[in-house]
Amino acid sequence: MDKFFYLITEGVKNVWRHKVTAFTAMFSLFVALYIVGVLATAGNNAHKILYYLRSKYKIEVFFKQDVSNEQAVGIIHKIKKIEGIRSATIIEKEDAIRIFKDQFGENIEELLGYNPLPASAVINIERNRRDQLVIETMIKEIRKIKQVDEIRYQGNLINKIERNFKKMMDYFPYASIVIILISILIIYNTIKLSVYSRRDLIETLQLIGASRTFIKFPFVIEGVLIGAISAILVAPALLFSVNAMNYVISRFSSFNIKISYDPMILFWMLVTVVLIALIGSYRAASGFLK
Amino acid sequence: MIEFQNASYAHNKGYGLNNLNMSIDEGEFTFLIGPTGSGKTTLMRLIYFDIIPDSGIVKINGFSSPGITQKKIAMARQSIGMVFQDYKLLKDRNLFDNVALPLHVLGFKSSEIPDRVDEALDLVGLEGKEGHYPYELSGGEQQRASLARAIIKEPDVLLADEPTGNLDPVSSFELVRLLETIHETGTTILMASHNYNLIKGRGRQILELKNGQLRIR
Ligand SMILES: Nc1ncnc2c1ncn2[C@@H]1O[C@H](COP(=O)(O)OP(=O)(O)OP(=O)(O)O)[C@@H](O)[C@H]1O
Ligand SMILES: [Mg+2]
Repeated sequence: MDKFFYLITEGVKNVWRHKVTAFTAMFSLFVALYIVGVLATAGNNAHKILYYLRSKYKIEVFFKQDVSNEQAVGIIHKIKKIEGIRSATIIEKEDAIRIFKDQFGENIEELLGYNPLPASAVINIERNRRDQLVIETMIKEIRKIKQVDEIRYQGNLINKIERNFKKMMDYFPYASIVIILISILIIYNTIKLSVYSRRDLIETLQLIGASRTFIKFPFVIEGVLIGAISAILVAPALLFSVNAMNYVISRFSSFNIKISYDPMILFWMLVTVVLIALIGSYRAASGFLK
Repeated sequence: MIEFQNASYAHNKGYGLNNLNMSIDEGEFTFLIGPTGSGKTTLMRLIYFDIIPDSGIVKINGFSSPGITQKKIAMARQSIGMVFQDYKLLKDRNLFDNVALPLHVLGFKSSEIPDRVDEALDLVGLEGKEGHYPYELSGGEQQRASLARAIIKEPDVLLADEPTGNLDPVSSFELVRLLETIHETGTTILMASHNYNLIKGRGRQILELKNGQLRIR
């Protein structure tokens, strides 16, 4: 039992005894983990930007001249049932006159003696879906309604946004895997290097008759400690970055987005890094045992 | 206690030991002499299984070289105290922790350790230097630290490779006297030295190494 406590304190003391190596290791681990954290947070929040942009998509549908306000309400009910449409608001013939007056300063009904403006509808799109939104399918559905006269929408822009976002999301997993693999390699090699710098210690311990477990145990404790400390330090750094980013967005852009931060990312990072440090230090120490 | 049967070992550059035969009984104090490069350290390394003979057998304390496992080697070393020619102190910890190390390896109670370390340091004349790191000790002090680490566990066998290498003549003489005191408690000792004047006339068995061959004087 005393031996067990000794080996644990040895592991902890070793971090202190080799401050410079330990600090270097922690720093590179920290950087690697921070990048992974930023990546994960970005992945978690990417759709928010898209949802925000989608809330700006707008389709305007103008009905034929002879469609009355009451008929328009009925048609709008039909439109709302179309897949991918979130809401539709009617603009009655009278509303159209007001809008016209706001824009041109003339009351067209008084000018002409009758109201030439049709009823219309403003349509908003379902934003919260992860897949690509193809606006043309909705347009086609709306066009099928025979009382519809004209449809206005920013087709090119919407398609461009949706296409590019899809492309980004398609590559994201691969890019993440590559970066995570690189991080794992960095962590693994950092731990290995710090063990390597003390192969004389391993040799001497062996000459004194220490068992393999006795030699390896403090290294494993040390590796796990270094890994855990760096992972824990990533938490405030990531939180700070997210808050800074939110500040920049709210202050310098018109986007109404708030980046959120998932504590589970940190949890998984901690678990993974501790596991890698455990395996890395164990294997490295074994490698130097004859 | 220690036995060589036709043991040979060659370093990869060719130098080595040829067909050695000798035996050291339990409780004996034996000297090993020979000029520089004659293979004294190599012979010591064979005894604590740092190297395994190419042919022949090395036996110590019931452990025997052919086919010995890492686990057995660790066990064998636990009952051997070694003073290395190059000390092999751990640079990253102070004298106290260096000397205490074998006790931790053997699983001593932590409450027993400080008294034992004090005792061992007193014996080699390093009292008061517990907090010094190896680089804060002179060559002779490091050598005595290595001795303290070797004797603290009261080993059955003490192998001392040139333990006076860095000591002045008076201190060298005192150290041999100290080894004789330790020997009186029943420890089997093998001490290597190239200083014949230091060891002659003590009435001990002397093994002489020359050109890889062993002669008993
Ligand atoms: N690891 C090694 N590889 C190759 N040759 C070695 C190795 N170790 C020692 N030798 C050679 O083996 C011979 C014996 O070396 P050893 O260290 O046993 O001598 P020694 O008697 O202890 O000398 P000294 O009195 O200087 O300590 C020397 O010629 C040395 O060059
Ligand atoms: Mg030598």
